[in-house]
Amino acid sequence: MSAVTARPSPLRGDFIKLAAVALAGLAALVLFPNDLGLMTRIASSAFLVVSLDLVTGYAGIATLGQAALFGLGAYAAANANLAGLGEPILMVAVGGLAGAVAGLIFGAVVLRSRGLAQLVLTIALVQLVHEAANKLSDITGGSDGLSGIDVAPILGAFRFDLYGRTGFVFALVLLLATLAVLSVIVRSPFGLKLRAIGRDPGRVRTLGAAVMPALLVTFTLSGAVAGMGGAIEAISTGVVGLDSVSFERSAMALVMLVLGGSGSLYGAVAGTAVFMGLESIISAANPFHWLIIVGVLLIVVVLFVPRGLTSLAGDVRRLLAIFGLRRDKR
Amino acid sequence: MDTIIGIGLDALAYGMLLFIISIGLSVMMGLMRVINLAHGAFAMVGGYIASYAIRQLGLPYVVAVPTAVAATVVVALPLEFLLFRRIYGGAEPLKQVLMTIGIAFAVIGIVNAVFGPTIKPIPLPGPLHGIVDIASHTMAVHRLVLIVAGLVIAAGLWLAVEKSNFGVRLRAAVDNPDMAAALGIRTDRLYLVTFGIAVALAAFGGIAGAELMPIEPTYALRYMVTFLVVVSVGGAGSTTGALVASLIIGLVDTAGRYLFPSYGMFFTYAAVILIVELAPNGLARRSA
Amino acid sequence: MTALSAAPTAPILLAPAAPPALAVEGLSKSFGGLTVANEIDLTLARGDRVALIGPNGAGKTTFVNLVSGLLAPSSGRIDLAGEDITGLSDVERARRGLVRSFQVSRLFHGLSVREHIELALLQRTKRTNQFFAAIGRMADIADEAAELVERLGLADIVDTRIDAISYGQQRLTDIAMSLALKPKVLLLDEPAAGVPTRDAGRILDVIDALPADIAVLMIEHDMDLVFRFAARVVVLASGRIIFTGTPAEIAKDEQVRAAYLGVYGREEERHGR
Repeated sequence: MSAVTARPSPLRGDFIKLAAVALAGLAALVLFPNDLGLMTRIASSAFLVVSLDLVTGYAGIATLGQAALFGLGAYAAANANLAGLGEPILMVAVGGLAGAVAGLIFGAVVLRSRGLAQLVLTIALVQLVHEAANKLSDITGGSDGLSGIDVAPILGAFRFDLYGRTGFVFALVLLLATLAVLSVIVRSPFGLKLRAIGRDPGRVRTLGAAVMPALLVTFTLSGAVAGMGGAIEAISTGVVGLDSVSFERSAMALVMLVLGGSGSLYGAVAGTAVFMGLESIISAANPFHWLIIVGVLLIVVVLFVPRGLTSLAGDVRRLLAIFGLRRDKR
Repeated sequence: MDTIIGIGLDALAYGMLLFIISIGLSVMMGLMRVINLAHGAFAMVGGYIASYAIRQLGLPYVVAVPTAVAATVVVALPLEFLLFRRIYGGAEPLKQVLMTIGIAFAVIGIVNAVFGPTIKPIPLPGPLHGIVDIASHTMAVHRLVLIVAGLVIAAGLWLAVEKSNFGVRLRAAVDNPDMAAALGIRTDRLYLVTFGIAVALAAFGGIAGAELMPIEPTYALRYMVTFLVVVSVGGAGSTTGALVASLIIGLVDTAGRYLFPSYGMFFTYAAVILIVELAPNGLARRSA
Repeated sequence: MTALSAAPTAPILLAPAAPPALAVEGLSKSFGGLTVANEIDLTLARGDRVALIGPNGAGKTTFVNLVSGLLAPSSGRIDLAGEDITGLSDVERARRGLVRSFQVSRLFHGLSVREHIELALLQRTKRTNQFFAAIGRMADIADEAAELVERLGLADIVDTRIDAISYGQQRLTDIAMSLALKPKVLLLDEPAAGVPTRDAGRILDVIDALPADIAVLMIEHDMDLVFRFAARVVVLASGRIIFTGTPAEIAKDEQVRAAYLGVYGREEERHGR
């Protein structure tokens, strides 16, 4: 066949981006030794935002309840720990499993409707979990949060230190591993089908592919990723609060995803890092100024940069390459 | 028995308040097909302006309320043709969610910068302060006023939508926007007027309901979920549906708080999920 | 059944024992009081080329929606290669080889031409549930995709996003997806509608060169294309088949001319074709 039809290899690009995340993480370790708590929270939140990206960015289903899956993973991991499970890797596995089960149920409830009803269902679900967590204080600690988590050294070898170095490296390594696996999945045949479903599920059906099972699998996978993030946050902070299953956290995850660029795993990670980094600086001065900035940014992004701020880099490159003569539609 | 009457009256007042605020959201969703997460922000702005007018400017209540409603509409209208107009149509719900949540965030931030983070009371005038006896049960006058106001608004809207010239055009545009435009109905003007009415009702509800839903900066997001739930349960664009849904949510929520206070709004959300699963298009739907 | 909704006039080329590729019997659909499909009978032999014409609102797209499973019929029966598929979903029908295109291109925004074709190929070969396989390593997919791309003249834009190519190229991509599914029966809903003349020729060539064993039913307004393509023409009006015949018979029939061609001729003038 002619050279034109040779398939470009996408994996090299993924590898470069994965390496960039690793380098950024290592740079943070060196540059911000006193802010590793924040850095770890960024990493665990990246799990939440990436998990949301699978459902919203890839599968095309808007949800304002994703934190329910994150928080349930956190509560599950914390309870496993309080019941005697010390190994952090196993705790993350427990969180991921709980998140997967929750994701499957969440998907089964949400996928029965569409549009506004669907969006309201996602909100109602996260609120339901929030109210239940508040009530079931035996296993959640209620509004005080669940504390007393005591984590053993990773694999019996790496002890969690006072500065949070181990916690951060632990979160970073798991994030890199998760991103690597997800990069393969979104480029796999299943991932291709999923991206198509996100654009036009009806058309995918007429190709002979069932949509609902694929979406349920995606919700389960997404729940697993979110649950792992929740577990990592529980491990590194030692507490699980009600805010981890809140509507606010879900909405903020959506904001981070859209600012970073939905439908791109690395856009989701970049969005999380930039958003939370700026938030910690600006919010320290005045939390409400931060809200104004986020609000205005959202409006600007929706109107002018629909593919997210990280797409601007690509746009600039493309515009330079073709001297502004051609632009993608929309 | 006393508890039941107590729950019933409180539920009625709360349900009517939900209706007053949510009906504008419902009509906008039915007509312009827009999911507006900034609707609660308009109610909140109305409350802030009313509180400021009464406490700082010393205006009497009966003057302050219409002034605050009008001021909220004046502030909000530019948003209609600058921002909202670009996302009408329901094709991209995610876009609508993001832009309107952005507007809500910005309003929360601005309101806090201007008025500060504390709860802003809206002092009631003497006559609304009292207590009346209904069926051997006492009830605050302002709650009674809320119920009456809700009924008046529901009746007025019903007349306006079903009987007036405006209502004919409104229903035509809800049923088939393209056809309405082809028949010469100025949909952009219709949208602007509808938006104005929706904002006015929200602002009025925010002011009149300040005793039940206190005015503070996070108001816009805290109650937004409840308003959305009413619209979703009732069916977008339906006055009757919104009224029934408001009363159901009001009743479930009030009963839950009375009988199982430690569960918070658990039963409300459980009921919402159940209703939406059983009737995904809402209890009543105007258009086919 | 009326005399007009007659049996096919084209000869069935196969042995009598072989069932037709598609057999539609007494297919009806009503919405409330409105009947949009009325006792439609239609049989497509293997390799058949049938055009479905009729004025706007005649129910052509409704018929395709009924056959492809997007709409459930009120009554009637649909057989695909001798198997009753009336109760099957759109997904199941597509899997059995009943494939359709859409009047307005429904493609996947943001995906490349190649990815569209690959998705269809992967679906046909039952591989879209593989999570960890690399599509780039699948030699058979690459070869077949390359072959389709060459055949349809999409080689230059194969890695371009679908929203950055011309409408005609989008229509070709849509056809490429359908072909990748190796259908038994292909329903084409106005494949050349809205395509500029300079691109339409390419689409016509592709349709002319469709594999001989596929039965094709094409909705089309353009009579030149109908005469060039079809062995048999079915005329639909108000949800009912009013005529079936060869293109030559259609052109001669006064009733069809009055009911349809005349109207359409005027429309054509208006559109300045």
